[in-house]
Amino acid sequence: MKVTIKSWTGVASWKWIANDENCGICRMSFESTCPECALPGDDCPLVWGVCSHCFHMHCIVKWLNLQPMNKQCPMCRQSWKFNIH
Amino acid sequence: MCDYRALWSDVVLIFPILDGKYPVKNVDEKAYENVYRHLSYVGNIDRLTAIIELETESIARNILAPKFWKHFCLTSGESSSPQHKSLSDSYAIGALKDTNALFSHFVEAIEELYNGFQCLQEMKSRLMQLSKNPLLSAKLKSIQTTLHIAMLAQLPPTFNSIVSDFYCLHFRLFTKDSYQASTTIDSEVFTDLPCVGCNCDVEQCCCVKLSEMVKSSNFKLFELGLIDRLAGSALTALIKLKIKEHITDTCLGIFDRSHLKQLESWINDTVMTWLTSIFTAPKSKKDILPEKIPDSVQAFKVKLTYFMYETFAQNVISQFFSIIIDYPDSTLAIDDLRICMEKIDMRVYLTESLRSSLEARILHPGVNTMDILTGYVAAIKAIRHLDSTGVILEIVTAPIKDYLRKRNDTVRRVVTALTEEGPTDLSEELAKGEFVKEGKEAGLDEFSNWENWEPDPFGIDPNILHINSSKIIRSADIISMVVDIYGSKELFMVEYRNLMADRLLSQLDFNSEKEIRNLELLKIRFGESLLHSCEVMLKDVTDSKRINTHIHGDGNCNESPLFDISALIISAQFWPSFNKESLQLPEEMENEFKKFTSAYESYKGNRTLNWRTVTGRVQIIIEIGERVMEMTVPPTQAVIIYHFQKKNVWTLEELSTLTKVPQSALRRRISFWQNHGLISETEPGVYSLLEKESEKTQFEDMNITDADEEDLESAMASASDQREEELQVFWSYIVGMLTNLDSMPIDRIHQMLKLFASHSGGVEFTQDELKHFLQRKVREHKLLFSGGVYQLAK
Repeated sequence: MKVTIKSWTGVASWKWIANDENCGICRMSFESTCPECALPGDDCPLVWGVCSHCFHMHCIVKWLNLQPMNKQCPMCRQSWKFNIH
Repeated sequence: MCDYRALWSDVVLIFPILDGKYPVKNVDEKAYENVYRHLSYVGNIDRLTAIIELETESIARNILAPKFWKHFCLTSGESSSPQHKSLSDSYAIGALKDTNALFSHFVEAIEELYNGFQCLQEMKSRLMQLSKNPLLSAKLKSIQTTLHIAMLAQLPPTFNSIVSDFYCLHFRLFTKDSYQASTTIDSEVFTDLPCVGCNCDVEQCCCVKLSEMVKSSNFKLFELGLIDRLAGSALTALIKLKIKEHITDTCLGIFDRSHLKQLESWINDTVMTWLTSIFTAPKSKKDILPEKIPDSVQAFKVKLTYFMYETFAQNVISQFFSIIIDYPDSTLAIDDLRICMEKIDMRVYLTESLRSSLEARILHPGVNTMDILTGYVAAIKAIRHLDSTGVILEIVTAPIKDYLRKRNDTVRRVVTALTEEGPTDLSEELAKGEFVKEGKEAGLDEFSNWENWEPDPFGIDPNILHINSSKIIRSADIISMVVDIYGSKELFMVEYRNLMADRLLSQLDFNSEKEIRNLELLKIRFGESLLHSCEVMLKDVTDSKRINTHIHGDGNCNESPLFDISALIISAQFWPSFNKESLQLPEEMENEFKKFTSAYESYKGNRTLNWRTVTGRVQIIIEIGERVMEMTVPPTQAVIIYHFQKKNVWTLEELSTLTKVPQSALRRRISFWQNHGLISETEPGVYSLLEKESEKTQFEDMNITDADEEDLESAMASASDQREEELQVFWSYIVGMLTNLDSMPIDRIHQMLKLFASHSGGVEFTQDELKHFLQRKVREHKLLFSGGVYQLAK
């Protein structure tokens, strides 16, 4: 007997490759959205800092805008720099 | 001195009643003169007057009244079934008196009474003549009154049946013409039937004669002034009966016509004319103009009209269930009822009768949920048409809601009805989408719109009103009413999401346009927030298609692929949780998926895929011997048959460890292939491939659609599983409570938790659900249950 698989329609869930589950600012799951967004994923992406912490982009941008002087990572208090891959 | 004897004989001649007789003979003027002269001489006129009066009374009491009533008492034995008697006897044509014994009795009795009355009347007038005292007439009681007193004092209980029999006949005679006009029977046939009026053969019809008798009797009764007392109650009963019969005859089961007008004119034309003819007997019919109708009849008319409305309304209400089912066609019947309800307070009766008929007709296990829903929607429409305030609706549909709440497929049915064409028209209703805005505005403007406030209708138990006093709920539209079954739209939206997830996963080539349209309609109605996850789910599907084409078009991943992979990539947070089944793929397959994953990773930076291998669809070609089968199966089945390539015989255990599917589930999956005749269980727990074609016959039955049967199983976690997960939130509360308070009964735990629940996201749950949850904890030995209280296990 020979079984040939012609095509396979599968189901998968996507996930961010991150070292944490939830955004440290909004406490929502990374796979979910920041409080302002409706659609997850491309529309509400994550960003990484050089300190390796990551947040919803909208969350951290909002946070940084609220910091008048030195922009720090809300988790480790190091000065925040975007880690562009 | 005069001759007293001669004088006495003169007196007796003038007043024969003094001698106990009452047929009156004519007396000449001389006798009056004589008696008067003598008596005034003696001065005894007053005494004579008194004697005459006494005697009149005694005659009325001892002779006339008993004699009159005797007519009724004689027949009282037979009169137990007057209707029957008059019917059976009427065929014996013979003398008229025999045909209707009761009827003739009545005529006779009246005849006698009337004679007696006239005699007494004569006595009185002679007395007047004798005394020549104009004041005397005022002093004397009227003979009518005397007679009334005597008669009514001896009223026998059974006379009503005779009277009503009499008037029944009268009514038949009266309505004969209109009856003949309304019957469309051929005149030839008609002659063979007995005459409607007198029930005799047509040739021997005695209606005219009877009518004459009736008329004269009526006239006599009228003269006596007895008609109201004697015939009143019998007449009322008779007319009520006739009205009932008429309504049953003309209106029963006909909902597509308005009956009220026709009934009113029937009352006016037939019944009232008849009544008037009785009460104004002396005049000829032509004289009776509407304004001349006596007051008593007028008052009677009001009563009868009221009664007609009441009977009609009762009639309609008793058939209200059928009216509901026929709804759009039965609008006119509902309009009629509404007019009746404006005049008469029937609400309580309506709600009670409707509740019980609904319970008897649709709220039992023999009716499937869809039909109950259809009935519910029809009831909403019909009752709303009847009563725009929605109070009746609220009360009547409460049992339906309670009942539907107990059925576990209700939500699913409602959601299906909302999204698919069906008998409930819910999808049409959804497509309309206008009502909700109206309702919303009314709700928001309740304070600014106070000038249009209307009090709640009366006649309804205020307690019920209190529970749902919110106007917003009551003015809500049909969809809200249906969704209201569970008291919250959240539950419906959760179920909608589950159903949609199932649909999306099972028909991977789904009709996205229809889904999106439905979703948009639902969003208008229930708001965006509740349907947000559904929106994400749909977006996942369209995104997946794009990603698939991108990855397929990308050269690096599909060098010599084993098979094509297309994926539905979901945002797990927004989908209902999956059940916990799993499946280990063979290595070569897994590699293909890894390739896809890495293609995805490079396409979408920083993101990866978690495959859910159990779900999906696999198109496979099986070549066995000379046969080639192409079919679409779920992944587990595909993997099982794939393993049989390498080895013809597998034990259940081996397969189970290889695929990481529990043995029980695996057995079920293998049976799919057993049905297709590819695998057989040679020994318990040992499966082997059948390569021969000897089982060809079984193959004939094989059909690709068979594969779908298995797919009916939902990939999602069952609703109760999801529920338990939600309740898990409370476990720490429960532990805390039981640590502090040692032991508690379930209703206290439920109450306490409800307090917490109101703080923590408002998860609603019933005591039953809590009981299930606690019982599971008891099974897991985390709790002890004894004597009705729960304790922590030590």
